[in-house]
Amino acid sequence: MAAAMTGRGVAFIRNIPGLLHSRLQVLGGGPQQLSCLHTSTSLESKNWEKKNLKVYPPQLPDDPRRPAVVHHSRRQIKYSKDKMWYLAKMIQGMSIDEAVAQLEFNDKKGAKIMKEVLLEAQEMAVKNHNVEYKSNLYVAESYSGKGKYLKRIRYHGRGMFGIMDKVYCNYFVKLVEGSPPKAEEETSFDKAKEYVQNLKNRTIIHSL
Amino acid sequence: MAMPMRRTLVALHRATCSSLKNAEASLDVRHPAPLFLPVRTKKRHFIPPAVGLKMKAGEDSEAKARAAGIVFRQQYIERSINIACTAGVFDPYIPPEGDARLSSLSKEGLKQRTEQIRQSAASQLAIRKIKEYDSLFTTKDFAEQAQEIFIEAHNALAQFNKEKLHSLVTERCYPEMTRGNRYKTIRWRFVESLEPPRVVHARCPDMVSKNNLYGQVTVRMHSRQTLAIYDRFGRLMLGSEEQPKDVLEYLIIERHLVNPYGRWRLHGKTVPSWAPAKDPIIKTVLIPGPKLKPGQEFEALNYHVPKPEAVQWNK
Repeated sequence: MAAAMTGRGVAFIRNIPGLLHSRLQVLGGGPQQLSCLHTSTSLESKNWEKKNLKVYPPQLPDDPRRPAVVHHSRRQIKYSKDKMWYLAKMIQGMSIDEAVAQLEFNDKKGAKIMKEVLLEAQEMAVKNHNVEYKSNLYVAESYSGKGKYLKRIRYHGRGMFGIMDKVYCNYFVKLVEGSPPKAEEETSFDKAKEYVQNLKNRTIIHSL
Repeated sequence: MAMPMRRTLVALHRATCSSLKNAEASLDVRHPAPLFLPVRTKKRHFIPPAVGLKMKAGEDSEAKARAAGIVFRQQYIERSINIACTAGVFDPYIPPEGDARLSSLSKEGLKQRTEQIRQSAASQLAIRKIKEYDSLFTTKDFAEQAQEIFIEAHNALAQFNKEKLHSLVTERCYPEMTRGNRYKTIRWRFVESLEPPRVVHARCPDMVSKNNLYGQVTVRMHSRQTLAIYDRFGRLMLGSEEQPKDVLEYLIIERHLVNPYGRWRLHGKTVPSWAPAKDPIIKTVLIPGPKLKPGQEFEALNYHVPKPEAVQWNK
């Protein structure tokens, strides 16, 4: 086996310490650029809820009024995160009344749960976070994440088995006070203008 | 050779069919690997840990310990509670109508001014009892002390200094002062005192046992203050920082007399029934309307928003 190694293989083996050394150097020099890479996250940390506890200093009278932000989530929903994702992205950017209306008449299982979460968040906003009008909220961020799965055995034929995951998902939503931001529609004329501008911006380097 | 093979194969087929049916019918039931397959089975390399543990967890560990002879001492689940303040205001002071409204030059005003604490006998008794425990107690000094306690307590509330606040305010008053304020910014300033504070009422209730005395003294204070409350996002919720307001308050200061380390602390405030209404908050609040029957319509013109009764309440 050892005798069958080619010359190239031997050279590669000789290079391994060099490669490792360079890799380690990159990692060692890395911390100066990425010093806070995953230093304190754990599975039980509820960071989304902690965002509701941030207190801002009082605003001066001539500052623009800071919009109220409410973070809410529900953990360990018995639903798939991929199926939940479709609903979450559907309501992202809608006003809360519109979102609740859409979810009410959606046939999916996750829609009912999401509607409950949104209504809870709205009530929290009015009661605890000094939001004046409950309809004046819109969904700024909404996404689903994986919860903790339970594992079970799924029996196959011939003594084979598979590990079945009982899926759970978490749903996060962030409501902001105000009317939903309008997406600026880019007309075809604007796009054509941009294209022409890009062409005009080209420079030829190393030319006479 | 062929016959026994077929039989064992059939047995295997039946066994796997039955196990599959079981799995599909009740996915939650955890079976260990079937041990009675007559044919060589494939070795199961991974079985989730939940399979083996569920059968062993249901055993009685207490019975085992007793059988082994281990004796557990009886566990007393007790926690001693130290009560350092009363639960409320005992026999609250009812301030006379129009206390701060009449000027001292009119006849009624003079009557009010000359009304001294000596009139009420119960207060005199109470003050005498307090002087038993605290010989340096005088009504004049105490009134100023009470005002200082008040100012310091409110400053600590504005900075939210929990330890200092606990030492200046009783346990009954603390949640009333701080409820809902944790994520808000409060700016409070005591501008000046319009009238010198006066002791108007005193009582010495006892709690639980006969001689466990607490002293409660009511102090009347007329002063000018500014208050501004900002919510979590720094927006003004109530009041204003520049505009001072004249405030007439009846503070209740309490002390656990029997305890030699007891201190006079703010216990609460009395708001008389004739007090002027407070300023509204800078927010529209939804008041739920009347419950309508299916055919009824809501007549906004005839509907009067129900106002709460003017009752004296102790805060």
